[in-house]
Amino acid sequence: MIKFDSATKKYGSTLALDDVSFEIGEGEFVFITGHSGAGKTTLIRLLLREVSPTSGKVLIEGRDIKSLKSSDIPQYRRKLGVIFQDFKLLHDRTVYENVKIATEIDGRTTQEEEKKVKKALDEVGMISKSNLFPRQLSGGEVQRTVIARVLVQEPKIILADEPTGNLDPQTARQIVDLLDNAAKEGVTVLMATHNADIVDALKHRVIHLKEGKVESDKAKGKYEKND
Amino acid sequence: MINTAIKHIRRAPYQALTAILIMTITFFVATLMIVIAYASSTTLKYYETKPQLIAYFKRDFKAEDVALVKSKLEADSRVENVRFVSQDEALEIYKQLEVNNPQVTEFVSSKILPPSYEFSAKDLNFTQDLINEIEELPSIEEVRFTASLGGKENLKEVVSRLTSISKNIRVGGAVTLTILLLSSLLVLLVIIGMRISTRRDEIEILQLIGATPGFIRGPFILEGVFYAVVGALLGWLLALLTTVYLSPSLVRFFQTVPFLPRDILALLSLFGIILAGEVLLAIILGTAGSFVAIKRYLKI
Repeated sequence: MIKFDSATKKYGSTLALDDVSFEIGEGEFVFITGHSGAGKTTLIRLLLREVSPTSGKVLIEGRDIKSLKSSDIPQYRRKLGVIFQDFKLLHDRTVYENVKIATEIDGRTTQEEEKKVKKALDEVGMISKSNLFPRQLSGGEVQRTVIARVLVQEPKIILADEPTGNLDPQTARQIVDLLDNAAKEGVTVLMATHNADIVDALKHRVIHLKEGKVESDKAKGKYEKND
Repeated sequence: MINTAIKHIRRAPYQALTAILIMTITFFVATLMIVIAYASSTTLKYYETKPQLIAYFKRDFKAEDVALVKSKLEADSRVENVRFVSQDEALEIYKQLEVNNPQVTEFVSSKILPPSYEFSAKDLNFTQDLINEIEELPSIEEVRFTASLGGKENLKEVVSRLTSISKNIRVGGAVTLTILLLSSLLVLLVIIGMRISTRRDEIEILQLIGATPGFIRGPFILEGVFYAVVGALLGWLLALLTTVYLSPSLVRFFQTVPFLPRDILALLSLFGIILAGEVLLAIILGTAGSFVAIKRYLKI
């Protein structure tokens, strides 16, 4: 599903990713760990096609995403669900509208789609708060709304960059469980995190980055605390 | 997309009011300029087509002279509306002119009034040449210009004055309108640019979840078009009310000159045509203003 083939990314003279290679299969849940500046966010940005590798390749379903034309990028991004630490919700829209926008951008506004929005809100436990605005929600509720938006998109891949960074341990665990459920249903999940407890508890594959390089890549790995 | 545009407008009402106010002023002036240009054109046409020239026969005229002058006038492509005024008709006209002096008209007989030919020049520029040529005919005493703006002595001035008034109105109107339209375009550009700047986060989120550039740009374009169209409607309405309000005074001033349609349906048709043109212009203006702002501030 995802393949990094000797991918290197430089920002000017700063090396953010250095000759990174790995493959992730369909339905796999993979943690990307490493200290700040290790290259986790750059890896996510490469997959989002916000930036392109300086050398090497990033392939999704066998296609080098560098070859995507700019007009193809929106369509490509609809295959991805994106979750950030800073939530990225539209503050002047309700919970329901924030989730529904994922269908609107695709021109899908049928009753069928509206049912999907409600179903996704129900799955993340936010149906009762559909009419509230993001400022009226707790951090966990906001992140659950983001996950509902991602679920409505029916993505093949979920990219989560520190999704539990602003949450208490209990809420963080609830959020990761939602992502874990998505992976069990066949969605590939790539989660960049500093949260050792969650990494250790879920026992999924862990790719550890250090100074832009893959330091280790372990199935059922643990959080590397002494890098 | 429409809902998003409405939300943008409601979230910053003072910017919206500024844009609409500027557009209203632009289209108010535009409508008045078009009406004035139309009025000047119809006034000029009125003077061009009403009988402006009268060729008076000499006292010793003969019947064949009348036929000769008639055939010459009718054969001239610069001349139209040729009409013979007999001595009896001339007396009737004289009596009407001197209706307040019955003592004077009492002693006037049709014998002392010469018959004449009334005719119009198709273009006021032809009048001086026509006067010169017709006056050379042996049976003609003199040719007079009848336009109320002047006599034979300053005929050239009258012709050039009417033409230059009409031309100045058009040129002045076009210059004023161009300045106003450019100002409106700049105001739209600045306001849409501000909107884009304040919605950077939203634009970034929409990009990340796969919104197309068209989906992101659409509400901004619609917003610009909305301001321009609402401004056009308000400006047009104000100009219509102003015209209707001033009509009685204008009719008194211009008297018989039909500078604007006299019946309400014809007047409304004129304003309807102006409205259609202005709404089209507003759509183009709104789209152009938003489009330039997007090109400048929204690089996606």
